[in-house]
Amino acid sequence: MPPYKAGLKRKVTSDKKSDNVVEDKQDSSSDNEIEDLLQGDLDKESDATDSEHEQEDDGSDGERDEVLFDDSADSVLEEDPQSEESIDESSDLSDSEDNESGDSADDDESQPESDEEQSADSGAETGTAPSASGSSDESNKKNQILKNENEKSNIKQASTKKKALKQRQKKKMSSIDVLASKIQEAKVSTEPVQQKDEYESGDTSDEEDRVNTAGEVPMWWYNEYPHVGYDLDGRRLIKPPQRDHIDEFLKKCEDPEFWRTVRDPSTGQDIVLSKEDLQMLERLRQSRVPSATHDEYEPWVEWFSREVLATPLRAFPEHKRSFLPSRSEQKQISRIVHALKMGWTKTRKQIADERKKKKERQFYNLWGAGGQVRAPRSLPAPRRALPSHAESYNPPPEYLLDRREMKEWDKLSETPWKRKYTFLPTRHASLREVPAYPRYVRERFLRCLDLYLAPRAIKMRLTINAEDLVPKLPSPRDLQPFPTSEVLRITGHEALVRSVDFDPSGQYIVSGSDDGTVKVWETSSGRCLRTVRLGAAVARVAWTPALGLSLVAVALGRRLLLLNPGADIGAHRVAADTDALLAEPPPAHDVLMDERTSSCVQWEVVDAEQWARGVRVAVAHFKPVTHVAWHARGDYVAVTLAEGAARAVVVHQLSRRRSQLPFRRAKGLVQCAVFHPHRPLIFVATQRVVRVYDLVKQELVRKLQTGAQWISAIAVHPAGDNLLVASYDRKLVWFDLELSARPYQTLRLHGGAVRALAFHRRYPLFASAGDDRYLVVAHGMVYNDLLQNPLLVPLKQLPGPERSGELCVLDVRWHPAQPWLLAAAADHTIRLYA
Amino acid sequence: MAGDTGEAQLQVRFITKQEQYAVSDSPYAIQSNVQSVELNTLLNALLKENRPSFEKSVEFDFLICGELLCTSIAEHLQEKGLSTEDTLEIEYLERFPAPSPQDCLMHDDWVSAVHTHGSWILSGSYDNSIHIWNTKGQHKLAIPGHTSPVKAISWVSFNGDQAIFASGSHDQSAMLWVWNVSGNSVDCVVTCRGHEKGVECLAVSADAKSFATGSWDTNICLWSTSLSDEDNVPAKKKQKPDQGNTREPMAVLKGHREAISGVQWMDFNTVVSSGWDHLLKIWDCELGGIKQDIAGNKAFFDVDWSPLSNSLITASSDRHIRLYDPRSTDSIVKTTFTSHTGWVQSVRWSKTRDTLFLSAGYDGFVKLWETRSPKTPLYDLSGHEDKVLCCDWSNPTFLVTGSCDNTLRIFKAKHATGNA
Repeated sequence: MPPYKAGLKRKVTSDKKSDNVVEDKQDSSSDNEIEDLLQGDLDKESDATDSEHEQEDDGSDGERDEVLFDDSADSVLEEDPQSEESIDESSDLSDSEDNESGDSADDDESQPESDEEQSADSGAETGTAPSASGSSDESNKKNQILKNENEKSNIKQASTKKKALKQRQKKKMSSIDVLASKIQEAKVSTEPVQQKDEYESGDTSDEEDRVNTAGEVPMWWYNEYPHVGYDLDGRRLIKPPQRDHIDEFLKKCEDPEFWRTVRDPSTGQDIVLSKEDLQMLERLRQSRVPSATHDEYEPWVEWFSREVLATPLRAFPEHKRSFLPSRSEQKQISRIVHALKMGWTKTRKQIADERKKKKERQFYNLWGAGGQVRAPRSLPAPRRALPSHAESYNPPPEYLLDRREMKEWDKLSETPWKRKYTFLPTRHASLREVPAYPRYVRERFLRCLDLYLAPRAIKMRLTINAEDLVPKLPSPRDLQPFPTSEVLRITGHEALVRSVDFDPSGQYIVSGSDDGTVKVWETSSGRCLRTVRLGAAVARVAWTPALGLSLVAVALGRRLLLLNPGADIGAHRVAADTDALLAEPPPAHDVLMDERTSSCVQWEVVDAEQWARGVRVAVAHFKPVTHVAWHARGDYVAVTLAEGAARAVVVHQLSRRRSQLPFRRAKGLVQCAVFHPHRPLIFVATQRVVRVYDLVKQELVRKLQTGAQWISAIAVHPAGDNLLVASYDRKLVWFDLELSARPYQTLRLHGGAVRALAFHRRYPLFASAGDDRYLVVAHGMVYNDLLQNPLLVPLKQLPGPERSGELCVLDVRWHPAQPWLLAAAADHTIRLYA
Repeated sequence: MAGDTGEAQLQVRFITKQEQYAVSDSPYAIQSNVQSVELNTLLNALLKENRPSFEKSVEFDFLICGELLCTSIAEHLQEKGLSTEDTLEIEYLERFPAPSPQDCLMHDDWVSAVHTHGSWILSGSYDNSIHIWNTKGQHKLAIPGHTSPVKAISWVSFNGDQAIFASGSHDQSAMLWVWNVSGNSVDCVVTCRGHEKGVECLAVSADAKSFATGSWDTNICLWSTSLSDEDNVPAKKKQKPDQGNTREPMAVLKGHREAISGVQWMDFNTVVSSGWDHLLKIWDCELGGIKQDIAGNKAFFDVDWSPLSNSLITASSDRHIRLYDPRSTDSIVKTTFTSHTGWVQSVRWSKTRDTLFLSAGYDGFVKLWETRSPKTPLYDLSGHEDKVLCCDWSNPTFLVTGSCDNTLRIFKAKHATGNA
């Protein structure tokens, strides 16, 4: 509320006070002061507005005043362009505001003036007003005069208004009441002006043909005029002829349309309500929707549904808010979830379940375990045997006891547990006639006792197929080449062949036989190229591995002979070199042997006759030589003597013609001694144990327990890390020296004593032979990878020679380059398998 | 016909490349269980029908799908996986007539090498001697000279009265000999020394200007066959008139890792060799390098090259004979011939027929093979009582074999009339 209005109200109340309480207002100075103040305020206000107008355009001031306050018809013409101008100018917002404020100021002015006029009516303060306004400057004097004129005219108007009011209210109110009601009225009328939409009136005025342009002014302003306002063209709207009560009555009687005739307060015209209007009124009275065409129950179109429309109904995009989860909702939900977690609240489902559970009836489980914890796994009672035919009520006749059996039954009455049955098979004509079993309860009881007292245990059994235990071995077909058949049978010896060997290139075969000969054969054809008669049974032949030498070590009784097989065997140059090398012994001072050695070993001087026969070196021992093994370089020969005890192993050095006894004490009955292929180790096989000695450090490196009863032969893998041991008790024992001192694998491939075995130098093959008819060829793959164990696959049983006496095959050898196997047989032959 | 319900009828058509035996190519219906004997009679009847002049019956061999018919047609087709519905084309050719044993030449020791040229047979023996025979079985000459078993022998050239031959022995030498035919005197002209181990095989080039020897020392040596060493002929003659002069090899081909078992000339400067190291090597003699390696999986015992069929035939240590085509990039064996029960020590191509070859095995059999019949040889030439060590078919008429039973056998191959 603006301040002047507040002041107005105050004044009104003070007026009331003064009117109600005191008659003589001049005494109370304070009141006067207030009034003065108020008046001054008011004046200032009016001054201010005026000054504003003056500031705008001074020239038009007088005109304006005239327009505003002159009620002559002429001035209307003058006013029109002004108003039009103002409308034109009202495109500017401030101007229009000015206009409005001016209008409102006019209204406000008019009200206090009317108030003043009313107060003047009371005749109280007419004198004070000029004095107050007298303080204003000279420029306002003209206004003042005009105002005064206005006041006069207003007074006039007020008087006419007063009359009209008096007519309306029929003098039933006191003057004070009238004043109050007037004030209220004025107040009521002022309010819509302030709240009015500036476009509303214009809109409505366009629609009506006969429009009052007077505006929202109280119609009683026009009470004293013949017109009620102005139409759009500015012409006066002439009031229709006034009718008194009689006219009204007459019209009521005469006019059939009277009942639906109403007076338009703005124009004063009578309007006959049309039928539609009446219907609308009727509907309004029934508090229904005014329009009859409006269908309240038309089908609902759900424009805004969850369906996503191809074209949105609303042009603006969804608000950002709609995409963001609500923070407050989130808080609320988290609070609920927390409460659920903590168990402070329960979901509806839980509550429903609880309620349901409460409704269910609880029964005691009579047959349950009874709370006591049983053994983790109960053992089922042993099944009883199913009833036999004898237990039938109508057993077949053969189950019924005949007389003899009855006699026996009776005889065993003292010892009923020896009886055939625990019951007597009886025949009944039908099931009906079967009597109750008298021992039923007792037997049940005994059974229960048995179950209760007899301890039981579950026997865990593993079912393993025999095939699963057999290791998966590759097929022999994938492990070719290996010898598959006999290709050459070399005959020529007259007694059993004790030993065979290939020369390092594989061109020749040397064989030693019991007929006292050493023969050299051509491998490819089996042609005998040389025969050396030595006069005694040859126990062992071994070709030197040295490529630059042509020598064969022959064990002949107690002697070890080194033969040069002949000038035409092998390369002539090599043979000649060998002869030249061995022609004369090295100087004697170099050959120093201790007494122990010299007592058992004698390096003989080879005479001319022996030299012609091919003998280049001869060494005599104190015991018969059973085994000869060359060192890989060909300089050393390890000789095993039969029953030599501590001196059973003798190592001869060829280049220096010197012998050594590596062992001081006898560890057992030495079977054979073999050099390691490339390290200074010697393998010595006694009856059951293989010992590995380091020749440089002169110490025992390893002791291999074979598990065999009597070792017959040993063979070292060409790589040196694996050892194969043959025994007379039909076993082949494979040792992986890297793995352990225990046998890696024990092979039982033979039906008789195993006498000979050999590793192939190039192919992963080994062969063994013995007193049974078969030679066994096996695949023995040794991997460089330390993590991979050797792979042993028996490949082939080669049919060997027929047994002659107890013996069958005495020695086997592999060809140095080809997968060919040579066997010395007891039937005087040598056989080559390829 | 009604009785033969179990046997299917076959539509066959006879074709041939030998025009003198051509018959009309109209198809004939025959039983599927017929064998080559029945086909022979049928074909002879057809020939007689067509040509009244045709009197003597001819033996034919029948080729079905490139393989010689040995069993009945039905079995043969089943083996090949062919249908009996289609019209079958049977190619026929005159059968190679069976060689007949002609002579048996006794030696003192095993016969290790043999070679024929014209009517002269040269044989080497384990008793270090060389023998010259004629095809009628007359012993012309025994030549001692080597100090070890003679392992290889070959005629070099016949020049009127003068015949040259070469021999290789285990005494690490090869010798060039000149034989005066009319005078029946032989002279060792050159001793070729260069090998460090025994000479195992020997081959003379086609132009007879050089020969190659393979040895146990894994080398192949190439030698000249010229009788005279230009630089020091007189000096040598004076020094050793009986032994002749020694000679160094023209070239040494090194590459094998094991003994060389066979060597043959493919053309004037290409040599093929087989070794115990499972390799066939083809050498360029001029460059002295290896042209091609063919890897087998068994040790090779012999190799022979046929210029007619451009293929190699090898004997190896597993009883099988293999046919290699050196022109194929990989060592795919074209055919494997399996019939011997022992090692095959020697194989020789026919010089006139590109599909025939001879093999000698340790099972005592000499077999005559047709390359289109890998399972069955054409003929087994029996007679030897021990391992057969060598064979030769240089003279197309005579098949000569030497064996461990100290004999050299001559089989006479009758000329097929079609080839005459």
